[in-house]
Amino acid sequence: MTVRSVAVVGGETTRFGVRPTTWSELAQEVGAALFRAVPELRAEDVDSLFVGAAEPERFAFQSHVAPLAAEQMGLRPRNILQRTELACASGQSAIRSAYAAIAAGLSDVAVAVGVEKMNLPSMAEANTAMGCVMDRPWDGASGATAPPFFAMVAQRHMLEYGTTEEQLAAVSEKNHRFANSNPKAQFYEKSFPREKLLRLPIVAPPLRLGDCSSMTDGAAAVVLAGEEFVRRYTDSPAWIRGTGQYSDFHNLANAGSLTDWVGLKIASRDALARAKITIRDLDLAEVHDCFTISEIVEYEALGLCAEGKGGAFAADGRGEVGGDLVVNPRGGLLGCGHPLGATGIGQAVEVFQQFAQTVPQVRQAPDPEWALVHNLSGSANVHSVMVYQRGGAS
Amino acid sequence: MTSQVDSRRRSAPELAPPSAPPASEAAPNPPASGRPRSEKPPPFLLDFFPLETDRETRLSRFYDRLREGRLSTTRCPKDDLLHWPPRTACPKCHTEELAWVDLPERGRVYAFSAVLVGAPLGMEADVPFAVGLVDLEGVPLRLVGRIEGKPWNALRIGEVVHIEPYDIGDGRFFYRFRAAE
Repeated sequence: MTVRSVAVVGGETTRFGVRPTTWSELAQEVGAALFRAVPELRAEDVDSLFVGAAEPERFAFQSHVAPLAAEQMGLRPRNILQRTELACASGQSAIRSAYAAIAAGLSDVAVAVGVEKMNLPSMAEANTAMGCVMDRPWDGASGATAPPFFAMVAQRHMLEYGTTEEQLAAVSEKNHRFANSNPKAQFYEKSFPREKLLRLPIVAPPLRLGDCSSMTDGAAAVVLAGEEFVRRYTDSPAWIRGTGQYSDFHNLANAGSLTDWVGLKIASRDALARAKITIRDLDLAEVHDCFTISEIVEYEALGLCAEGKGGAFAADGRGEVGGDLVVNPRGGLLGCGHPLGATGIGQAVEVFQQFAQTVPQVRQAPDPEWALVHNLSGSANVHSVMVYQRGGAS
Repeated sequence: MTSQVDSRRRSAPELAPPSAPPASEAAPNPPASGRPRSEKPPPFLLDFFPLETDRETRLSRFYDRLREGRLSTTRCPKDDLLHWPPRTACPKCHTEELAWVDLPERGRVYAFSAVLVGAPLGMEADVPFAVGLVDLEGVPLRLVGRIEGKPWNALRIGEVVHIEPYDIGDGRFFYRFRAAE
């Protein structure tokens, strides 16, 4: 199938963190940041807007956020305006939808924006919103929110493969260290050595505070363009070369093995096949480290190491600059925080900046050509993958 | 109008714990199903627990049986497929002619964790509480549920637990597991 080539031609994120600001103000802030980051972009160029937002109804008591975001950002979409909701993958979902629209010729220049306001005066209120991501009258009613679910993944991984708390801490230490080179990250200038991580309080055994991504306010936006419009905005586009997605369950009872993420195997295989590359060709990967154990299982499901060897992959530094490939150089969800709708778009911004080689050297992948972005959502019951290639011809 | 505003104000604190609903009032309508109806009205705001009567769900039989102490689910006779959660249409053949079957009362813990911090509204008072995945004995079902009976750090994988239907506090029923102390 030949489709029109599409590239990310620029993007920007707000500061992620506990922000004294509203959902709408975050949308304004990211709009202003986007137009500064892509100086050639004019509002009238943007014919479509895709708004990744997971739970504004609960977190911000606001529905119909697509036109709200358009107004806040000063955009008047004339082709496609819609919200994309896929919980933790809502941001990537906005990019995938923009990609599909441009590839199909229904849009020429589109913005994918993700906005999430998660910190509320009542943490229990925010936790309730997160609980609704699960099959609410069954899993949610049992109190099975994300931390205990991913904790059970960790428990089984430890039982089946001997994975250790120290290996979990290695993931957290790496991503927090990378976040120290990212002024937009929630945990910028916060130090988390492994000894400190291993002493943090337990949230859901065996996971400690440092094993879990945070409740985060933040927004991110990228501009996508069809091949004939790309050079108007940048000399270093990030071309979308492949996508893949798979979902095989929702209720936790139907998860099957907790440690074998079949959906990610299928989604990444399909995305890499469409890009006509293999996992060995990747220079960097932005993967969904909502919890440390997630990144470990993802190494395995992506085929970066053998089943059960994800903990060793982390501890041996194979995801560092100078390792097999750089994993989560932006700081990951652990270091940047996880504003649900903005996360997937923040990852794409990192890929664009890595290709342009504008990130600090401590996290720069050497001369990168290929990048993979992965988001899981819910209880790892959906996996969404995109493959990007740097610059060059369309 | 005024009374609506008043009742809204009275109900507001109920946002937090579904186990502590507002002062009960007479149910506005007679029970639609045959079972005795709780004198307490359903929650003003939705919480994690489902609305259970046959006015609200086609799975009211599940909750009626739970009230009798039985955990049940649907089974597709055509596909010989046991569903969880119970369904109104088979996901394989899409027939809506499903049978109800009781499930075994015993199971073994496949994995567990606990909520030590960060509980949702209505569950804050329960912290810490254990949550696990339990393989039911003799059927290919692995159910999620709270595990009561002993502290989370005394549980172990493979431990035998029993199904325990319980009243969540406002007349609605749900299930959890109980480990022997």
